[in-house]
Formats: sequence, C-alpha cells, structure tokens
Amino acid sequence: MKKLGYTLLIFLAIGCQKDLLEKSPIVGVTEENFYNTEEDAIAAVNAAYAALQFELTPAGHFRWFWGDVMSDDSEKGGSGPNDVFELTQLEEFQGVTNGELLESEWKASYQGIYRANVVLENIPTIEMDETVKAQILGEAKTIRAWFYYNLVTIFGGVPLVDRVLAPSEFNMPRSSADEVWGLILQDLTEAITVLPTRSEYPPEDLGRITKGTAQALLAKSHLWQKNYAAAQQAAADLINSGEYSLTPNYGDIFSLNGENGPGSVFEIQYMQDSGGNWGENNQNEGSLTNVFQRARGQFEGFGFNVPTQDLVDAFFEENSVVEDPRLTYTVFREGDMMGDRGLFTKEATGGFPYDYYPRKYFSNKNEEASFGEPNTNGGSNDRVIRYADVLLMHAEASYHVGDEAAARQSLNQVRERARGVNPNILPDVTASGADLLDAIYHERRMELSMEGHRFFDLVRTGRATDELGALGYTEGVNNLFPIPQSQIQATNGAITQNPGY
Amino acid sequence: MRHLFLFLLINGLIINVSLAQMIVSGTITSSEDNLGVIGATVQVKDGTEGAITDIDGKYSLKVPDGNATLMISYIGMEAQEIPVSGRTQIDVLMQPSSSLLDEVIVVGYGTQKRSDISGAVSVVTAEEISSSPALRVEQALQGRTAGVQVAQNSGSPGAALSVRIRGTATLGNGDPLYIVDGIAVGGLDFLNPNDIESISVLKDGASTAIYGSRGANGVVLITTKGGTKGQPGEVTYTSYYGIQNPARKLNLLNAREYAIIQNESYIAAGRVPLAEFANPDALGEGTDWQDAIFQSAPITNHQLGFSGGSDKSTYTLTGNYFLQDGIIGGDKASFERYTARLNATHDVKDWLTVGNVLGFTNLTRDALVENNEFNSPLIRALNMDPVTPVKKADGTYAYSVYSDTDITNPVNAIEQTFDTWTTNRVVGAAFIEARPLRGLSIKSTYSIDATFAVKDVFRPIFDLSNDPVLSDAPAQEKSLVNTVAFENNNWRNWQWENIASWTETFRDKHNLTTIIGNTMLAARHDYNGGSNTNLPSNDPEDAYIGNTIDPIESQGTYQGATESALLSYFGRADYGFDDKYMASVTLRADGSSRFGENNRFGYFPSISAGWVINREEFFKFEPITFLKLRASWGQNGIDGAGSDYPFTSVVLPGQNYTFGPNETITNGSVALTAGNPDLKWETSVQTDIGIDVEFWSGKLNLTADYFVKTTKDMLYSVPIPFTAGTGPPVQNVATMNNKGWELALNYRDRVDGFRYDIGGNITFIKNEVTSLGKGGEPLVAGYIQSANSQSNRTDVGQAIGSFYGYVTDGLFQNAEEVAAHASQSENTAPGDIRFKDLNDDGIINAEDRTYIGSPIPDFTYGFTGNFEYKGVDLQLFLQGVYGNEIYNGTVRYDFIFVNRPASVLERWTGEGTSNSQPRVNINDPNQNARVSDRFIESGSFLRLKNVQIGYDLADILPANLKVQKIRLYLAAQNLLTFTKYSGLDPEIGNISDNSLELGIDRGFYPQARTILGGVQVTF
Repeated sequence: MKKLGYTLLIFLAIGCQKDLLEKSPIVGVTEENFYNTEEDAIAAVNAAYAALQFELTPAGHFRWFWGDVMSDDSEKGGSGPNDVFELTQLEEFQGVTNGELLESEWKASYQGIYRANVVLENIPTIEMDETVKAQILGEAKTIRAWFYYNLVTIFGGVPLVDRVLAPSEFNMPRSSADEVWGLILQDLTEAITVLPTRSEYPPEDLGRITKGTAQALLAKSHLWQKNYAAAQQAAADLINSGEYSLTPNYGDIFSLNGENGPGSVFEIQYMQDSGGNWGENNQNEGSLTNVFQRARGQFEGFGFNVPTQDLVDAFFEENSVVEDPRLTYTVFREGDMMGDRGLFTKEATGGFPYDYYPRKYFSNKNEEASFGEPNTNGGSNDRVIRYADVLLMHAEASYHVGDEAAARQSLNQVRERARGVNPNILPDVTASGADLLDAIYHERRMELSMEGHRFFDLVRTGRATDELGALGYTEGVNNLFPIPQSQIQATNGAITQNPGY
Repeated sequence: MRHLFLFLLINGLIINVSLAQMIVSGTITSSEDNLGVIGATVQVKDGTEGAITDIDGKYSLKVPDGNATLMISYIGMEAQEIPVSGRTQIDVLMQPSSSLLDEVIVVGYGTQKRSDISGAVSVVTAEEISSSPALRVEQALQGRTAGVQVAQNSGSPGAALSVRIRGTATLGNGDPLYIVDGIAVGGLDFLNPNDIESISVLKDGASTAIYGSRGANGVVLITTKGGTKGQPGEVTYTSYYGIQNPARKLNLLNAREYAIIQNESYIAAGRVPLAEFANPDALGEGTDWQDAIFQSAPITNHQLGFSGGSDKSTYTLTGNYFLQDGIIGGDKASFERYTARLNATHDVKDWLTVGNVLGFTNLTRDALVENNEFNSPLIRALNMDPVTPVKKADGTYAYSVYSDTDITNPVNAIEQTFDTWTTNRVVGAAFIEARPLRGLSIKSTYSIDATFAVKDVFRPIFDLSNDPVLSDAPAQEKSLVNTVAFENNNWRNWQWENIASWTETFRDKHNLTTIIGNTMLAARHDYNGGSNTNLPSNDPEDAYIGNTIDPIESQGTYQGATESALLSYFGRADYGFDDKYMASVTLRADGSSRFGENNRFGYFPSISAGWVINREEFFKFEPITFLKLRASWGQNGIDGAGSDYPFTSVVLPGQNYTFGPNETITNGSVALTAGNPDLKWETSVQTDIGIDVEFWSGKLNLTADYFVKTTKDMLYSVPIPFTAGTGPPVQNVATMNNKGWELALNYRDRVDGFRYDIGGNITFIKNEVTSLGKGGEPLVAGYIQSANSQSNRTDVGQAIGSFYGYVTDGLFQNAEEVAAHASQSENTAPGDIRFKDLNDDGIINAEDRTYIGSPIPDFTYGFTGNFEYKGVDLQLFLQGVYGNEIYNGTVRYDFIFVNRPASVLERWTGEGTSNSQPRVNINDPNQNARVSDRFIESGSFLRLKNVQIGYDLADILPANLKVQKIRLYLAAQNLLTFTKYSGLDPEIGNISDNSLELGIDRGFYPQARTILGGVQVTF
C-alpha cells in the first residue's frame, strides 16, 4: 500500500491548471478592451487615414489610373501592352469585369469605410474631451464621404455600408447612386459644423482633414449632381474663409517644398523616409506613384501614365506659338532635363517610343529615400484637391446659376497665376455664354491635367463621348466602370453588374 | 523556466541499485544452423527484468522467483514462453518463423501485439529505415506504407516533405500529428532517421481518436532507439558518402533557335525584329543556363552510437553528422545537421522506473529562392535568353539586355544570396512510471520541445553593369545598397501527461486493458526581427545590424508572440476474448484555447472490433494461418486554422499616417481581421473495414482496408465580400469526403540460405468536396503569373484544388476557321489556339472554363524487394503515383524575351504545319498562355527510389574480433524515373502554404540522382 500511496502522490501533484485555456492576444488588444481613452480614439481615426494611402490593395489603384489613363490626357505606358494588361483593357474600354485593379479600388475604398465606421461606432461612448471627440467624428465622416465619392463616381450606386457589418450582413446589395450621394452629403454637412479650419489646427496636426476639405468635397459632390447653387455656396464658403490662396508660382506646387502649401485643400500625405513594407495594410508612408510615373531605363521608373500629343497640343490651343507655361510643369519633352536624373532621350528611357513623360509627380534622385527601398518610398503627397480646383468649381457652378461675373472672376484668378511673368499670354477671359463654359472647361484641363481629374470631368460634364468616343468610350456604359466580377460572385449575386458589362 | 528545471532534475536521476532473488542463465540456439542466436531478448513475463543474448547466444538474467515465466523473442524466430520452474539453467532452441503476428506494435498511449489490433495501423521498422539512407524521416514512409502519400516539397537539401495519410482531408494544414516518444512535435526536421526504432502510422478513426483534436490527419508515432535490459554494450558506426547529380535537363532553345523564334514573334506582332538577331546562325549555341546552375554536390553522413543495459538500466547514446549540398547552388543550398541523443531508463525500485529521452539538434540550412516563377534561380535559368553569356570578357557576370524584371542572371543571383537558417532544438521528456499493483501502471511524463531558430539574410551590393560609371545595368541586375535582416523564432511547447493503465486477465480467456489519462499542452511562439541598410563592408561575415551606418530610425524592427493551450482527458478499454474476438472503445475530450468559452471542448469517441476467424472451430483451410476481420469507427477534430485567436477581433497598431510639418509617423490602430466568436471544432469521422491474412505461417501477408473519411465544419477563412472592409474571419465551412481502399502484400521466404522478401502496396483514394458553406462559392487558388489568373479551384463535386481553365481544340489553320469559330479575341489569327466554346454562346470568355485535371492521384503505390545470400544483399525500392495532373508553369509567357522549350520549334508556321504548338507572337493577342489544358500534363510516374547492393564481412572475419556486422554497400537513389511529364521532376509535394494550391510546377527544385557508398559496423 505504501507503493500505491507514493503513486497517488504523483497524480495528486497534477495541478488543476484552470486558467490553462484562457489565452488572450499578446500582441494587440481585443476589440472589447480597446476604445476606452482619447488616445485610443485618435489611434482609431488615424487608422482610417492610413487607408487613404493604400495604393496596392493588392493591385495598384492609383487615382491617376482612373482620372488620367482612362482619359485623352495620357496612355498607360509601361513596358508594353502586357505590362499591367488589365489597364490596357480598361483604357481601351474593353469591358473587362474580372480585373484585379477594379477589385483593388473597390476593396481599398471599403477598407477605408470600415475604418471610418469603426470610429463612428466606438468613439461616441468614450469619455473624453468633447471637442476632440467631435473633431474625430468629423474627420471620420469626411474620410467615409471621400471613399464613397470615389466609389459612386467610378462604379455608380454601391452597397451603402454605414456600420461595421456582422457576418450575416456581408452580402449587402447595391444602393442607388442617389442614396450614396445622400450619405456623402449628410456626412460632409455634419463634418463641416465640427471640423476645425486649417489654421485652427495646431501645426503637428498638419495633414488632417479640415473644414475646408469637407467644404471642397461638398462642392465637388454638389457639382457632380448638378446642384449648382449648393456647389457655388460650398465653394464660396471655402473661398470666403480666407484660409486658402493660390501658390504664387505654379511650378512650385509639385515640388517637395510645395507640399501642404497655401493652396492645399486636401492632400494625402506620403513621405520618403519610412522604410518598411508597402501596399494594403502598409506600414510605410511612401508612395509608388513616383516610380510608376518615371521613365524607364536610366530614370529607373516603370514608365506609366504617358501624356498624349492631344494633351500637349491643348497647351497651344490659345496661342499656337507661345505655349501655356503650365505645360513645362506638366510634361517632360524630349531634350528636357529630367531633374537630376539626366537628359530625356528615347535611348535613355530604354528605347521606348514615347515623346512625353509626366512631370507633376516626378521625383529627383536626391529626393529618394535616404534609406530603405526608394521605389516604394516615393515622397510626393497626392494633391487631391487644390484651391485652383475649388475656384474653377466655383466658376463652373456660378456659370450654371447665371452668375457669369463671379464665374469669370474665379476663372481669371487661376489664369492670372498661370500667366506668371509673361503679361502677354493667357489674358483674362471676358467671354460669356457657352464660350465662357468652354473656357472654364479648358482651364480645368490646363490647370489640373495629370492630377486624376480629366476622365471624371469629361463624364460629369457630358463631354466624354466627344472626347473619348474615338478611344472606344460609349456613353451609358463606360461612364461607369464594371463592378468587379469577384464581388458579384462573393455576394452570390446580391450585387449586380452595371449596364453594358 | 520552472518546467525546464524539473525536466533537467529528472533527467539527472540515473542511479544504480540492484536487488534480485535468483539468476537464470543459458544458451539460445537456432534450429536452422545450431549456432547461438545473437541479440535475442529474454524477458520476465509481467516484470521489468530482461536480457539480450551475447555473441555466443548466452544470457544471464535475474528473476524474482522460481515461479516466473521467461519470454524469449527474436525477429524471424517464433517467440516462446518458458516457465522457470525453479531451474537456474535453461537452454532454448528457437524455430525460424516468418510470422509477424507476435510483433509488438506501438499504438496510441501503449503497445499491442499485431494480432490483437483492431484498427488500421502500418509499421515501418528500424531495419527498413536503415536499409535505404533516408535524408529525412518522412522518406522512410514513402512508398512503404499503404495509405500514406509522401512527396518532396522541394528537392533542395533540408526541404520538408508533405505527408498525407489517407488523402487530404482538410482545407487547412493536412500534415499528420507527429508523436516522437510520446512528445507531440511540429515537424520532423530535427530527427535523425538513424535514431528511430520504429514508426507506427495510425490511419483509421478508431486508432487516432485517442489523440482527439490532433489526430484528424492521422498520427505518426515514432519511437527512438533505446537500450535493452541485460544487453551487452554495443557500438555501432555507420557512414556514407555520395555524389548527387541532376537527373534530367530540359531541352530548351539554343541562341540560334532563340533568335529565329524572337524574329518571328516580332514580325507576327508587326514590329521590326532586333537588329542583332538578323543572322541567327552567327549566334551559334549560346549559353546553356541549366549547365550554368546545375552542379554535382556531395552528401555525407556519420553516426556513432552506444547502447546497452544492465538488469536495472538501459541506455542509448548517439551522435550524428549530416551534410548535403544542393545540385543548384551547392553550398548556397546546403543542409547541415548535428544531432545528439541520450535515452535512458532505470528501475529505482522494482515497482518504480524513471527515464528520459533527450534529443538535441543543430541545423543550418542555406536556402535559395525556390518554387516560384518570379525570382528562383531555376526559373531564371529556364527563362533566361541563351544569347547572354554567363560572364563578360572581364570575368564578371553579364546581364541580359532583353530581360526586364524577374529574369536575371541566375548564377550571379545565387552568388549574391546569403540566406541562412540556424536552428537549435531540444526535444526531450522525463518520466516516472510506478507499478504499485500487479497489472497497474501509472506514468507521468513531462516533456518539452524547444526550438530556437535564427534567420539571417544579407543582400550585398553588386552591379553587373558594363560601365561602372554609367551603371548601365537594369535595376534588377544591380543592388546599390546592401541590406541585413534577421529574424528570431522561438517555439516553446511543454506537455505534461499522466496515464494510468491496468491490464488483467479474467478466467484465462478474458483480457482487459484500460487506460485513463490527461494531457496539458501549452505552446508559445515568440518572434522578433529587424533589418537595416548600408553596411560599410560588403562582406557577409560583417552583416550585423550593429555595423550599419544608417540612422537608428531606419531600422525595421518587430516583435511579437502568440500562445495556445490544450487540456485533454482520455480513456480507452481494450477487451479480448480467447485471442479470437477483440474490441476497443475510446473517448477523448479536448479543450482548446483557440475557441471561445462556448465551444471550447470537443468530444471524440471511437469503437473498433476484430474477429480472428481462423481460430474458429469451423475454419479448416490450412494455407491460411491467420485471418482477421476488422471494423472501426472513430471521430477526430482539428482546432487550428492559422491564428491562435480566431474567436476574437484583435486591434493592432501600425496602421500609421504622417502628420505635421516634420512628417511625424503617427500610430493608428484597428482590427484587420474579423473574429468569429461562434467558431467550433472541425471534425472528421472515419469508418474502416479491414482484413489481415497470413498464409503459410507468414510467408505471405496481405492487409486490405476500405475506408470512408468525412470531414465537416472545416475551418477556413472563406473570402468574404470586400464590403466588410476586414480580412475574413475563420469560419466552419466545407465538408469533404475521402473514400478509398488500400492493399499491402508481402512475400518472404528462404531457400537454402537465400532469403528474399518482396512486397508491394497500393492505395486508391477519391477526394470530393461535398459542400462549401453558406454561399457555396468555389474557392480559387494558384495564381499563375504568365496566365494572369488562377489555376486551382475547390468546388462541390470536385477534388480539392482541381485545375480549372479553358479547353483547347487544336489550332486555327486558316482565316476561315477563325471566322467560323466563336469570337476569342480581336486579333486572333491562324496559328492561334482554338478554345472550346463550352456554353455555345459564340464568345470565348471565363464562362467557357471547366475542370481540366486533378492534382490528386487516383492511386499511389510502392514495391520493395530484399534479397540476401551468404552476406550479399540486394535491395530494390520503387515508388509511384498514377492519375494526377501537373500544371507546368515554368515558362514565363508574360515576357517576350524569355527562352522556350525546344518544342516551340514545332510551332505553327502555316496551314497544316502544326495542330498543337501555336504560332509565336510577342503580343500573344489570342492569350494562348491563358490557363488551359495546354499546360496540364500527366503527373504519373514510377521511380526507382533506391537500389542497393551490400556485403557483410562479419562472417569472414576472425570470430575473436567479435564484430557482429561490418556491411559495405553501394546505393543509387532516384536512378530511374518513368514519366510523361515534361518538367524536371514530377514528384511535386504541397509546395505552397495555401492548402488549396496543388500540383503547380513553378520551377520545382528537382530531386537529385545520388550515388553513394557506405559502411555499417556493429561490435
């Protein structure tokens, strides 16, 4: 029995490890234990900002893909037709529905919307400074509105996710475009009442969404819906706030020093010295736009978004002898020095036949990341909305409500800056009627080309068939891009395809 | 730390005490030759004492009293039980036997006589393992056991193998549970095959159910060698050295042919061919890039072992060194392993035994990029143009002026690779076993599996430019900044297991064994790493982050950890009546930390029964000496699907944004993946019916099984609509079926000193997905870059990961045929592939794809043959698979400049010239490279894995040298492969981390053909 006693001791020594199965994450915090403090609230809204930077989700979906490559301003470029073949298909309006670029745009937008929704759901109950709380909610609403603006202009009506979805809600069908616009307008209107103006933010918050950002986005949204009076009002509110002015020298806007300048209304922030990974859920703060848009060969880029002759010719439309000075800051021509990377010859680009390369997001060798991988760490901020854009929106809206004087005044402000030191070019516009409207349209192209606006401007103003018909554009079909086929499948058909695809 | 201390303490307990009542001695001789039997085991029945006969067949053994019974056994002889009856001298004559029925087999938490087993268990013995030099343990299972499919995940040294027991039965990790000496371990890379005594493969649900949540993919029980009580000390030394060579080379275009094809491709696309290719003949043969990367590589192994035992203790001590270089990359793809092992047991009291197993392993693996079509040296060698030389005139490496990204000079790429994994791993256990009452054993085992792995990566500066000032090489052929990176991974798993077992015989004929036990298991994985750029020195020896000159903030660093735990209770009752009827019942309850509290515990029952028909009175058929019917049913579970915390959403920092004039990186936090609080166990249910037949006392053995295995509630992160904005939660989704049968046959005999043993096995399995969760959308995987789409699809009614694509229908021979066929592409022209319009809608699009092949074989099989005559032995081992397909994705059709297989010379060049090889065109307007049956090839093969001839010198050496064995041998591995597959190697395992991506050859690192010679000495 002694033996049995000893043996039982062994068994008794087995501790009851009751907590053995209670394991909680070592890295990170469960959602139930987060969203308790002001610090948590700020971290939550910052994560929504991070989604603005997603350029690869997992494929590229740059704003300039849609705005520039799809338009008559530029063509795809790259190493040949097979380089990002889907972009070739999209550019030629071939109606590809199963592409990863469309899918990535869709995915990244909803990632941003999810993050904004997380903020809007979890922050209101946190005990914290109410002003800061209101500001954070305003930022989140504006970010949500921005992603829906992208979705509704690219895809039309989309599933209206205004909350964090439960698994049973994943197969949400599309709402109408009007319903999406409804949420956008509501979010922006509410955000404007609580967001600080640009000057009210402390310097360390430079880059945050401001009241001006929301106002400009509101103007854009109204303009798209042809609510001209409301668009004029929203633009005027921004103009009259005195927060913004045109950067005196057009050429400075796209330099690194010109980032967040006096005319910057909404810029997505990127920096070159962050190292790390890139893409979806990226941990770095750099942009790939720089390397994508640089010429190949000696310029060490991928050679995308190549400006067309049509665009370059447009800069000579007003004066066939003296070009619009903005051309120099928009396009590199053969024989130009490409910054500190050398002379632009076709041989130096690797023998590609392109006569032009885009300049606005060109980065010099000496501006490359001083450490880490330079390609994925381009430093150029994405100039999403500039003051000149707001002025031109104001001009367009004013024209449509019959206030031609106001239209001309805003338009001519932009031209005055563009004129630079040469008083003999780009005279003030004095036209009225349809000529005035044409002048405003022309000015938008000159001022904003290669910044991701052109395709949407053409669709919005009904000029796409005229300008893009030769490229394969069909009104009623190509004004919207196809819904990614994978999402129709993933929702078991709850999401339906756009007409014509 | 507390656990480690306890562990070391128990390991230190090797104390020598002896107590005995009387000593029995004698000689054991064989009736065959009347010589002493060396190494026979003499044991006291129901006791712990035992002895091994010496070189003259003599033994001496202490027995508790004169009423004890001796059990005498030796492989190949009939076992005997002899009552001592007070004698002190017992001589025994043993009769040869071919029967394996008395063989003791390791099963879950115990052992059973082979004849008593009612489940489906296969065994591989030490003899079989040592017969063919196995580089890794898994190879010892390959082709030798029915129902087990083993395939190399890569031919590179040190690469893992995929082991699938009765098919792929989960969407997650399909590896079986590996238990080494009772310790659940992750992977077998640490284990030296020479240390293994036996491997048992538990295949049916009833055998594995005792492992509950962990046994769904089958269980591989490995027992390492220990000494035997009373065994005289034995020294073994084994060694081999071999040379590996590539077995096959692909026939690719030479420079002249390449230029011809390029010119034609340009012209077809309406472009002007390159001027330098104007005269193809002038280019001659050009560079053979396969020759440039393939090489001979050595392989070597040394093992020294000591083992023995006294009447109270046993010990084994071994040391091993293994080195293998790669046939691509040489020492840049090498695997070096040192192992040391100490196994010991000791009887502290006659009722109390302590012991340990302890293995230490040091691994160093240098690895190249493998098995991807982007940047592996092999894919570069197969795709690099033959016009570019390996080196420039000045002796430095050349770059291709045609190549854009990905395809760079592979020789330089290998030279610039410095990727080293260094792993130290301790796997050990200490146990205390008490036998307080007759028939009752209580055992408590504490074990650890601790792995400390470091990955070091260095990317040096290099520039293949012709002109260093202009730096004219393309970006991918130069690296102007060097980078150093490291990662530490520490896995620390501890397990504490307590088992009580009780064996009793009632009224002579009723045998009952019951066990109950519990296990606590906790696993923790810590990881951290960092990287930085700009080392002043370009010497890999100086590649430490501390030497970089970049600012501290440029360091990429990370650290984290993850934990899981399992708490289990289990029990089993084995009942046997008169060795004629047997039944077994088990139940296991597992609690896993990976589920929320609501679904934490899973319960896994099983039942099995056997009937030995030949022992019935009515059975009179003499050639059959054993006939058993078996039937079993059992249930298992799976708790793992990636994350340790799938039941909750984890908010992670690092979703940063830049604010402020100084571009300050500011933290953002959000949950990137949705949790699933309702997650529950994945379960598999398996029914098995089997038969074991022995003819002529073991000359011929046959085992056959039919099984049906159904896995339901499979854990998988099913893709969800992107509108959710998060990564998909793990969900219980699909159901899958594996049905099949397996057969193993073995015939052994000896005729006048000629012994032979031939065997074969075959396994048929049909895999079918029977449901796919809510939406039921097929799951796609296997992205093929050159086709820009996915090739694998998992769908209801199909095998997992089936190939899905277009069906080709010859080539268009003329414009009329193009016009008459459904519209494929705007610029489709004669010479392009005609794809079938499966839905007859007049347009070829994604709707015209269908299932075009399966990566799962219809059957797998193996043959072994062993022949021995007067010390000369010959061994043959063949292995094969049949009926699976491979997607040959080794050509980068998405690039225009890459080299092609020589079959492109048979391309279409005009009406009637070819109906299979399409025209060439750099734009490929018809997308001839899309995923279609054009790239689906038969993956069937039969391979002579091993052929070996040996000679044992022991018999001709003077007896006073006391050498038991001194065998010299010569072996050839992978000598012959019969296959229609056009790639380098048809034996492709589960290369991808994604379990739904199967059978794609993205430039598989081929297995070598190895010729080696070795020696095995025992004295």
